[in-house]
Formats: sequence, structure tokens, C-alpha cells
Amino acid sequence: MNKVKRRAMSALLVAALILCGLGVYIVRYVRHGAEWATFAANSSVYISGVLATGTLTDRNGVVLARAADGEHTYADDAAVRRACYHAVGDYAGNVGTGALVAFSSQLAGYNPITGTYASGGHEVALTLDSALCVAAQEALNGQKGMVLLSNYKTGEILCMTSNPTTDPADESAALADGTYLNRCINSTFTPGSIFKLITAAAAIENLPDLDSRTFTCSGSIDVAGVTVTCSGVHGTQNFEDALANSCNVAFAQIALELGGDTLERYVSDLGFTDAQKLDSITTAAGSFTKDAAGTPGLAWSGIGQFEDLICPYSMLRLVSAIAQGGALPEPTLLLDNTNGTTTLLRAATADKLRDMMSYNVYSHYGTDNFPGLNLCAKTGTAEVGDGTSHSWFTGFLLDDAHPYAFVVLVENGGGGLSVAGRVANAVLQRAVSSE
Amino acid sequence: MEDLLATCAHVAHFLLPLLALIVLLRCVRSMLSGRADPETWGYLVTPEGQVRPLLHWECIIGRSRSADVTLPFSDVAGVHAVLMRNDRGEWRIHDLSRGGGVFLNGKRVEGTEPLVDGDIIRCTTHMLKFAANTDAHRAIQEKRRAVAGWRVSPAATLFFLTLLQLLLVLEFLLSADPAYRFNTILAFFALILIEWLCYLLMRTMDRSGFEVETLAFFLCTLGLSVCATATPAELTRQVVLLLAGVVLFFLFGWWLRDLSHVKALRWPAALMSLALLALNLVAAQEIFGARNWITIAGFSLQPSELIKVAFIYVGATTLDRMFRSRSILLFIAFSAVCVGGLALMGDMGAALVFFATFLVIAFLRSGSIATVLLAVTSAVMAGMLVLSVKPYVAQRFQTWGHVWQDVNGAGYQQTRAMSAAASGGLFGQGAGSGWLKNIVAANTDMVWAMLCEELGLIVAVIAILAIIALAIFTVKNAARNRSSYYVIAACAAVTMMMVQMGLNVFGSLDILPFTGVTFPFVSRGGSSLISCWMLLSYIKAADTRRGGSFIVKAAKSGKEAAA
Repeated sequence: MNKVKRRAMSALLVAALILCGLGVYIVRYVRHGAEWATFAANSSVYISGVLATGTLTDRNGVVLARAADGEHTYADDAAVRRACYHAVGDYAGNVGTGALVAFSSQLAGYNPITGTYASGGHEVALTLDSALCVAAQEALNGQKGMVLLSNYKTGEILCMTSNPTTDPADESAALADGTYLNRCINSTFTPGSIFKLITAAAAIENLPDLDSRTFTCSGSIDVAGVTVTCSGVHGTQNFEDALANSCNVAFAQIALELGGDTLERYVSDLGFTDAQKLDSITTAAGSFTKDAAGTPGLAWSGIGQFEDLICPYSMLRLVSAIAQGGALPEPTLLLDNTNGTTTLLRAATADKLRDMMSYNVYSHYGTDNFPGLNLCAKTGTAEVGDGTSHSWFTGFLLDDAHPYAFVVLVENGGGGLSVAGRVANAVLQRAVSSE
Repeated sequence: MEDLLATCAHVAHFLLPLLALIVLLRCVRSMLSGRADPETWGYLVTPEGQVRPLLHWECIIGRSRSADVTLPFSDVAGVHAVLMRNDRGEWRIHDLSRGGGVFLNGKRVEGTEPLVDGDIIRCTTHMLKFAANTDAHRAIQEKRRAVAGWRVSPAATLFFLTLLQLLLVLEFLLSADPAYRFNTILAFFALILIEWLCYLLMRTMDRSGFEVETLAFFLCTLGLSVCATATPAELTRQVVLLLAGVVLFFLFGWWLRDLSHVKALRWPAALMSLALLALNLVAAQEIFGARNWITIAGFSLQPSELIKVAFIYVGATTLDRMFRSRSILLFIAFSAVCVGGLALMGDMGAALVFFATFLVIAFLRSGSIATVLLAVTSAVMAGMLVLSVKPYVAQRFQTWGHVWQDVNGAGYQQTRAMSAAASGGLFGQGAGSGWLKNIVAANTDMVWAMLCEELGLIVAVIAILAIIALAIFTVKNAARNRSSYYVIAACAAVTMMMVQMGLNVFGSLDILPFTGVTFPFVSRGGSSLISCWMLLSYIKAADTRRGGSFIVKAAKSGKEAAA
């Protein structure tokens, strides 16, 4: 019997395996429970695969979308529906990164303790100001493009709008190409001169005698037999003026001097070539191709042309970091939420860039164009190869009461300052006055 | 009124896991507490005057350190002789020495001889004097042993279980289809009645161990809840089957009391199993790709479930036969036919359950890990062969681990199971309020996810722990058991339940391939419910605590013995 009773322990081996399996399940449950619960076949929160519960509002309580009793409704105001379409998405799930998809587990009221037991679903408040989104959409005035504006002290995104857009309540609306794309977070574009902020950051940290240098611009420069042209003839200028002039000749020289490896490292370290996480939303990753030393490709890539592509969201992170001394609170779309802080730049670099961006506005862009705003900014006019240019304007307000960072893009819009700058001014004026 | 009911149901839904936990913890505490008092059935005295107690009905004398009475001499075989006591207190000695020889009062034992008080046993050259323990002496020892259920009142535990059942009734009052509301209440009250009758029956037999039954009734409660949700029209049937299961538990347990009866029917049980298998292969209907159902006079049953009970009945053995290669070879052949037959039917889940049980029995009998590894290797090879000829089985393996890539194809059931389980959270959506029941086989193959969805993860985990508790209890009891037959049978029974549970739970959650077996006591299925209660008899038979089990005969009182 002694023999048998020892061997009986083998049954405990099976028991141990079962407990291991249970452990595996519980770990998976904690990690993936929210995904499982928001699987569209879950009839306790979905009806026929469509989220059937929860209310989505903006920061002021304006209802953006609501599902209850088998009915799906959106904002009352058609302008709000159109302006917030990309941030909110629709119940059909056409916008993959819309809040209705991204925050479905919160809308379903899911948590690992009570599952989706809470009846009636939950209310989820976004950080968006729907009125500001409407103002931004109006400022775009039907042009393709996007406006992204956040509070760089808290990370809250107040405005996220993209055009072309549609009215989700009007299912018969004709759709322009790319309507379902949220240009703020899901697309990448040629950055043009706003990329010079990245090249400048690299230059500040890698070229020790930068402040004592001068750059001479005669309208173009020859790089290995290819002419790199500039928007003007800027003569002899220091580094600050080179950025304010957005001088291609100066930045081509800087890019060639920094080399492809250094540039590539800064593009990557500043978060431009990786997909970022905006709450649970994955944003588009940009791209940067490093050309060989001394080539015109390398020169152009330091000016934001060549094969450079960036996602506007990444630029919002960079200007937020510049405004904050190098460290930014990661942006969020969820009210009363924080996503931690990321340090992108050394404080000295950030402060230098901040001063230069301020100088840009005072010396070149004209404060009259931005009445009442203590603005730091950079323009971009990105040639896209078909003779037109994307018009960019990005920056932030140096204003403790209105700590806003922004990125504006008008596709094929023309000059950065005259087109995107005007849109940015309209949105910023509205943002500042609405508080 | 409706509001009040809703509030009560809301509160009930949070209380349910607490009550389930209380029931589990009380059962576990009761099963694991108390001294593991050995029972002394006789003595062997060496010429030097050393007294070796015989603590079981079956004892090995041998050189091996794990023998019950060790004779550490080179001329003694590892397993030299086996002493066996029967139900009537008669002892026999069996020679297993293969050479050296066993001598009784100077005469060589040929095979087996009866043994009486004062006999002199000689193993090759080493003498031992046998002294039987009288009934009167036994009765005195018996009185000193701890009584089962003495520290944790079984009635109170059952009371908590009843409370849990009443809470479920309350929840169903709100969620059940009005057409079935009355039936649901009735079914739960019938369950409560059955369990308390069971308890009273135990008490009239002067037994106080009720933990095993309480855990089984707890699982049956969950099963009834699943039935009330998914197939309320079958509630009456479920209660009748439960009653049948409980009755068979008692009858089969009664049969297991006497090992001489048990041994007499081993061959018929084996032949009946093979006949059932053959009948199944010829006459079965194909349901969900497996030909494992036969319908007789309107009753459909799964023969593999009944064969489970017979398989253990045949596979378990007493010590005297355990070391005979003929006995082991016959069992291997029998197992191969059973597993092969089930595989032919396409019932891969059942084949796996049988195979795992075979491994445990084989290990308990041989003690050889090498044998077990050999068996596993050959089974894996056979499994590969099956995969190459049965495409639908291979497909399940391909899906394994990738169900979310094919949510509307091969991963349909598992993804729904996980989604529903997650939406239940820790406390569930409430009994009767889930949606998983609408998916095919939710109440059988994905029943654990249904528990998670409606009653919550806590209750579902407690269901798993209830079976694990039975396993730990069985292993604990092995140490003080009378016959190896009961130890092997009980270990095989808990292993069977655990393997079934593991395949069921982890198959539906994509942690293992989806094989489609039942969760003991909980999944829908009459044959399965009945076989589970009969397997429980094996577990109950291994409980030798004083007053622990009706299957273990109580010692005669001192007075009776003296008279």
C-alpha cells in the first residue's frame, strides 16, 4: 500500500496543470478582457454587431453619439456631426480610429471587476470642444486638410477635425475620396519646412559653434551637381534668421553637415517614424529615408522634402514638447485622463527652439496677422510634386491661460503662412476667446 | 414589487460568489482537517521482538523501501509477499517472490494460503510472526479516531448551499421566461429536497462525512442554473436525471463496499464495455462529427460515459494481482480497444480522457515513469496518424491559438465564449441574463464560459476548485486506505473528472484545442451526469475517516464483537 499511496500523488500533477491553465486564463482575462468584451458578437453590448450602449460627449457635455434602446443618434447640430466625424467615428465602424471604436469598452461600461454588468452603458466624455472643431472646420472652408489643437500642459486634445468629412446621420451623403481618413492621426504628408524644426533640434545639439555661424544664401546651392533652390535670396544670415527665413540653402548645408545618420536618429527619437499611442489609438508612422553623404537627397531630406513623410499628430507632440521645456504630457482624448509624460528634447534645446519660433512670428510672420496672441510658430510649404504645395502652420501659444499647441494643414493650399496660418489664427482666436 | 425584486436580484448577484466560496472553504476545511489516524489491522513481530503494525488491508513485505514491511536483506525480493485481509477479517498470504519462497509455519506457500493469528511467516530465511487484531481491539482503536465532519458541521455547509440555491431562484424569478418560471422554481426546490434527503440518509446510516456530496450538489446547482438558462424545457428531465444519478451513487457505492463482489464482476464489466463500444460503432448516430450517441426506445445515451465507470472498475486492482504481468497486459489491451474505439467514433475528447485515465492507472499499478512515457510517445504517434486521416480533427489543431483570426469560421465558438466570459466580469451578468446560451453547444462544450458570463469568474473558478478539492481529498485519503483497489479507483475517477474539466474549460478558451467534452456535473448531458455521480462513488469509497463514508463499513462496536 505504501507504494500505491505515493503514486497517488500523480493525480496532483493533473491538478497542478489545471491550476496553471487557470492562471494563464486569468492573465489573459486581465490583459485582453476589454477586447473580448467589445468583440462585436457580444450581445450584451452589441446588437447585430453594432454597439448598443453608451453615450459619447464632448468636454462641455454636448452629446456626440448615443446608443440606447436599439437607437443610434449623433450630435443634434449637423455642423458638430461633420466637424467631429473623424474623432467620433460612426456606429458602422467606418472610421477605424474613431472614439466609438477605440473607446467601445469604456462605452460598454466594461471593467474587469463587473464586466459589462452595469445596465445602460456608460457616458464617456472626450476632451474635444465641439464648438472649436466646428470653428476649425469652417476655417478650412471646404479645403482638404486638418486642424489639431491641444492643451500642452495637460495633453487634452481640444480640436481634432479633418476634411473631407461627412454627416454620419445622413447615410445617403455623397462621400469624397478619403472621407473615412482622419488626417490628424491616420495620414502622413510631406512636411516641407516644418521639418526644419527637427533639423534645427539636431543642429543645436550637434553643431557646437552654431551661434557664431553665418549662412549665405544666393537663392540656390549646388549639391553634387544638382541645384537646391530656395524661396528667396536671403544673403548672409545667422541661424535664427535662417529658420525664420526658412532658408533652404542654410538648412541644406546643415543637413549635409549633420549627415544622414544623425538626422535619421533625431527623426526617430522625436517620434516621427514610429506609430504613437493616443490613448488606445495607434497613429500613423511617418517615414524618413536616409540618403548617402553629400547627396542632394540628403540635403532635401533635411528641408522636409525628398521622401520625408510625417503624421500631423507627431508634429503636435514635438511642438508641445518645445513649449514645455522638452517634456510633454502625452496627448489624450479622454477627459480626466492622463497618459504620462515623455521627454523628447533637452530643456536647453527646447528653450532655444521656443525662442526661435517666437522670433519667427515677431520678425517675419507678423504679429498683426495674429492679433493678441503670444505665438511661437513655424510655417511649411511642402512641394508635393504636382506643382502645388501643402500649406502647414504649427506652433503654440506662450500663454499660461491658453497653453495651446497646434498643427494645421491645408492640402495643396499654397503658402504656409497665408493659408494654413490664417486657418490657425481663426482657430486660435476662437480657442482663446471661448474661455 | 418589481423594483424590490430587481434590487434583491442585484444584491443576490454579488452575494452568490461569497456563498459559493463559503461552501467550498467549509468543504475543504472539513476534508483536510482532522488527524490522518492510521487504522491498525494486525501486527508482524520479528525474532528480535520488533513490532510492525499492518496499517492497510493489503500490505507488501519486501526489500523495497516503499514496502509496507521492509526486510532489507539481499535474499528478499523487492515485493516478496502480500498480506491481504477481507471484509470478514480473514487474512491470506500471497507469494510473489519468484524464487526465494514464502513459508508458512515451515511449509512453502503455493500461490496463496490463509493466515491466522500466531502463524510464523518465513521470507526466504527471515522469520515474522503474525498477530491479527481482534474486533474488540479494533473497536477500541476505532473510538479514538477523529470523526468526519466533527469540526465543520456538514448541515451548516449544506445550509449555505441551500441559501445559494435560493438566491439563484430569486435571480431566475426576474430573468426567466414567464412560461418556465414555475418550473424553474420547482426544479431548484426539488434539488434542495434531494440534497437534504441525501443528507438525512447519511445521518440515519450514522455517517457524518458529506463534503464530497456537497461539492457535487454545488456543481449540480450550477448545472441546473445552466439548464434553466439554456434549455428551460428540459428542467424536469434534468431533475429526474439528477435523482437517477444520486440513486446510482448510493447503489453503486453499496456495491463497492465488498471487494469480493467487486472482483467477481470485473470480467463481465469489461465484456459489457466492449459490447457497448461495438454497439456504438455499429448503431451510433453522428452528431457534430462524432458518432458517439445511440438511441434506445427514445432515450439517447452516450455509451462512452457508462464505459468510463466500467473502465475504472476494470482497471483498478488489489495488491495481489497488481504485480502480475498477465493482469497488466490484459488491462493494456482493454484500454487500447477502448481508446481506439472512441477514436474511431471520432470522439477525440473522450478518447483523450480515457487515455489520461489509463496513464494514471498504469502509473499507480506499475510505478514506472518509463512505462508512462512510452505510452505517451506511442499515443502521440497514433495521434499524428489520426490527424493525417481525419481532416476535421486536424482543422481544430490549426485553429488552436488563432481563434481571433477566424472569428466567423473555425474560431466562432471560442471567440464567443471568451467574449461572453469577459462581459461577465467577476460577478456575472446575473443568472439567466446571458446571451452565450444562444450559441451551439454553449451548455456543454462552452459551459464554463456560460458560468463566467452569468454567475461570474469567481463562481466559475470555484467550480474548478471544487473538482481540485476532490482530487486533493482523494490523494490525502490514499495514505490511510485499506485496499489499493479503492486508491486506484478514486485516483482514476478524480483524474478523469479533472482531465474532462481541463479539456472542456481550456478548449473553449483557446488555451487547448477545442475537443468538446463535458464539464463534470455542470454540462448538459444525462449520461454524463449519471456517470459523474457513479465516479463519485469511487471517491467516496476511498474516504476511510471514522464515519466518513457509507461505502466503508463501520467497525463493529466492542460489545457486538465480544458477543
